[in-house]
Amino acid sequence: MKSEKAAAYSPEHAAFLKKLENRDRFVTIARYALLILLIAMWEILARVGVIDSFIGSSPVRVAQTVARLYAAGDLFLHIGVTLFETVVGFLLGTALGTLIAILLWWSPALSRVLDPYLVVLNALPKIALGPILIVWFGAGVSSIIAMALLVSLVVTIMSVLAGFNEITGDKQLLMRTLGATKMQIFTKVVFPASVPTIMNALKLSVGMSWVGVIVGEYLVSKAGLGYLIVYGGQVFKLDLVMSSIAVLCVLAALMYYGVAYMEKRLVSWRYHS
Amino acid sequence: MEDIVVDINDVSLIYHERSGETPAVDHLSMQVKRGEFVSVVGPSGCGKTSVLSLIAGIIEPSSGSVSIDGFKPGYMLQRDHLLDWRNVEGNILLGLEVQKNLTPQTRNCALGLLDTYGLSAFAKHYPRQLSGGMRQKVALIRTLATSPDVLLLDEPFSSLDYQTRLRLSDEVYDIIKNEHKTAILVTHDISEAISMSDRLLVFTRRPARIKNEHKISLSRGDTPIARRKAPEFKDYFDVVWKELDVGEV
Repeated sequence: MKSEKAAAYSPEHAAFLKKLENRDRFVTIARYALLILLIAMWEILARVGVIDSFIGSSPVRVAQTVARLYAAGDLFLHIGVTLFETVVGFLLGTALGTLIAILLWWSPALSRVLDPYLVVLNALPKIALGPILIVWFGAGVSSIIAMALLVSLVVTIMSVLAGFNEITGDKQLLMRTLGATKMQIFTKVVFPASVPTIMNALKLSVGMSWVGVIVGEYLVSKAGLGYLIVYGGQVFKLDLVMSSIAVLCVLAALMYYGVAYMEKRLVSWRYHS
Repeated sequence: MEDIVVDINDVSLIYHERSGETPAVDHLSMQVKRGEFVSVVGPSGCGKTSVLSLIAGIIEPSSGSVSIDGFKPGYMLQRDHLLDWRNVEGNILLGLEVQKNLTPQTRNCALGLLDTYGLSAFAKHYPRQLSGGMRQKVALIRTLATSPDVLLLDEPFSSLDYQTRLRLSDEVYDIIKNEHKTAILVTHDISEAISMSDRLLVFTRRPARIKNEHKISLSRGDTPIARRKAPEFKDYFDVVWKELDVGEV
């Protein structure tokens, strides 16, 4: 399709497009090459003994460990547990965070009263609340989800609220000249205009949910990737630790791109031109 | 007796802020008759826009009374404020939606306005695909779609380049006369005010009072651009220019 289009352009423009295309291709190739290079270096250094594979593991040992976990039927159990906790924590954090942001937008007085509390909650390392969560929610999945929720909640509230407030000043006048109620101002202008901001907030909070879940699993868990990492560390099986981290990388990336894809779909009106 | 559409009676308005108070309007009285096109000119920041907001009922006067009994205001702002995520059709229906008056009839009426004023081909376009002049016309149709009796125009052309501004003021003038609307135009552009209105009010510096009033009668021209060529045009201009007392820049 690109070449079809290029025919209509001047040779200079075609050359320009070609250059852009080449540069894009270079970046893509360089990305994969770097990954392959890093993995290859790791393996080679482990084989020649520069890296002690007992404490540094190696790509082949990671692959073997993952395969062993899969064969034992454990791999998807651990992935499933962690993924479930993260998704639930993320969705709860998003829903609750957006809801609280709406309340704070609605009542500037409430927003001013609660502002210092939000600031403190945001600054507080949420892991400090771990023991409390365990006592309140029990040593299990609920505590971990609560931790994921806590870690992502304040960030979501603050960034979504900032988005709402940014829109409000500008278009509020128009809506008031049309005789809109506050509810209409919110549903017809403030919320739809904030969709891009909300989606950006989600990209942030999806990462936060992973932090919360892994921290939660460090504190209390019987299964999950965080559990495998802690367990592997305790029994000095670095292969297990590295494997879990590798799986975690893949999952976190997939979830991020999932949200980013959703963002692109939802805010397609921004690209109309 | 002629119909009075807008009746402002001894109105004062004071803005309050933490840092102090600002009197914006000072014992102002004015009336606008049905079908009349009245312009308000005044130094910038003199409280012209506040008067429109008072008429529209967006703000309450500190004292005095504003009445547009039984007549419906329609406000057109300096900027078009079109919603990027709605196409032209969605934008012009916004007022009807907000006022819970979106029926097949009112909808057809709004689309009819789009057709009459040459924008029906753009109904499915998004605001960012339109030129500044077209966007402002869509904003006007959004206002007209709610069938207001009085149009409040707050420097609606000031964000446009000169050629577009002249052409659009011709078109808007046409639209307002066609639809038999009463209009109040606030502007700092003396020529624009003289070329469009039946009556022109000159405001003082803030707090706004009426300094003088001119009935505009030009010997020829039936569009703002043509009216600019009338021999009396520059006389009005000179008088109003002096009254505006722009002073040192």
